[in-house]
Amino acid sequence: MIAALVAIGAPVLAALASIGRLTRFAATALSRLLQPPWYPAQLAQQMLVIGWLSLPVVGLTAIFTGSALAQQIFIGGSRFNAASTVPAVTVIGVVRELGPVLGGLMVAGRVASAMAAELGTMRVTEQIDALVTLRTDPFRWLVGPRILAAVLVMPFLVLVSNALGVMGGWLLATQRLGFNSAQYLATTQRYLEVDDVVSSLVKAGVFGFFIALMGCYHGYHSGGGAAGVGRATTNAVVSSFILILLSNLIITVIVFGS
Amino acid sequence: MTPRIELAGVSKRFGSRQVLDGLDVAVMPGESLVIIGGSGTGKSVTLKCILGLIPVDAGSIKVDGQEVAGLKGAALDAHRTRFGMLFQGGALFDSLPVWRNISFALPGSTADRMAAAIDNLARVGLSAEVADLKPAELSGGMQKRVALARAIAARPPIIFFDEPTAGLDPITAAVINRLIRTLVTDLKITAITITHDMASVRLIADRVAMLHAGKIIWNGPLAGLDACDNAYVRQFITGSADGPIQMPGARP
Repeated sequence: MIAALVAIGAPVLAALASIGRLTRFAATALSRLLQPPWYPAQLAQQMLVIGWLSLPVVGLTAIFTGSALAQQIFIGGSRFNAASTVPAVTVIGVVRELGPVLGGLMVAGRVASAMAAELGTMRVTEQIDALVTLRTDPFRWLVGPRILAAVLVMPFLVLVSNALGVMGGWLLATQRLGFNSAQYLATTQRYLEVDDVVSSLVKAGVFGFFIALMGCYHGYHSGGGAAGVGRATTNAVVSSFILILLSNLIITVIVFGS
Repeated sequence: MTPRIELAGVSKRFGSRQVLDGLDVAVMPGESLVIIGGSGTGKSVTLKCILGLIPVDAGSIKVDGQEVAGLKGAALDAHRTRFGMLFQGGALFDSLPVWRNISFALPGSTADRMAAAIDNLARVGLSAEVADLKPAELSGGMQKRVALARAIAARPPIIFFDEPTAGLDPITAAVINRLIRTLVTDLKITAITITHDMASVRLIADRVAMLHAGKIIWNGPLAGLDACDNAYVRQFITGSADGPIQMPGARP
């Protein structure tokens, strides 16, 4: 009986401890963001790395997914004479869900892993200890700029993702499915609402926070040499994926559930 | 005279492993202490405890007579301004050029910091041409010199050297050892060096302390090292496989 309780209790306690450590890490990072010294050059560099360098992968994902979505809606809609809903459903699907979620997942795969690997390497090569001995707070120098940069640039990336996703649907619909270009764009515009865009941008900011938080948290606490850095990288990607999908569900239910 | 650094009864445990177990040692101003001891005996942990990078479980750490164990926030930052540290692997910031690594903690304009970096490069025998290179473009010996330049850049009164010659060829190691000795003497620095390298010990040390099982088991002037009759010290300085020190995990 006691052995069974231990078997259940130990992982539960470990999970709670992990949540506590992560919460404290996030709280420390956010509180340090509000206090000087700030490092604008670090912030600008991270915005470039996260935002500009993620544009190709996010853009390509959006175009391909928007096109595939339009094709699927056309085929599915044809079964009950609703093929004309392609522009409306595509824009709603892309802007509300696919743009932010797929954009978030692609950025997580690219950025959370890179952050975890970079900070993990800095940890195991004592560069983080060196920062501290040089009177520089790693939360201000490393973690804060990454989290702030991700929160600031993700909405921009998702806007691009949304636009390219809709464009992918439009391209396929007009070039392959026989839709009239002007009518397609007019329908798209008619069905797109402000709430759709706002929820998309809110999701993007939240996803950006989780991506950078997971990348920094796992990298910062990395240990055990190269294998430890590898584990940190994997954990950063997996946990940011889960948090993106979970937070997406919560935001969707809150914004559109009623 | 008040010791510059004084550790008394310092203990530190990681999980079930007692790394430091009532460690006592003192370093006088301007003195160069070298701590020797086997791998995993807590030499690096000792330095990190003094720097406040690792909290101690028990004991006292005094710097210039002031208790520093348990310092936090601004007081801990102020405490750290007295130290320079040469890390085992150099710990240079990969993303920054050499001159920014060296001048990282220095105040002033970019031009002033660049000039200070070049001045410190000269002190460790490197030319100004190295200043704009990234650490990855340097050899291991050059990286150590740059890390040394960073450690002395703010002219701290105390410098720690963690395995300064680890991974270097004998000639480069000799150059680094001589450089450390010269810097310690010229800049009147109090230094603690931890090393396995007996050539480093003989060149750098004024005094030698041996750490074993979490305690200092021998402490004396360099001149007394070879005449020491402590079996642990004898085994260490002769590099013998036979003696009281057994490798962890080795078959009896």
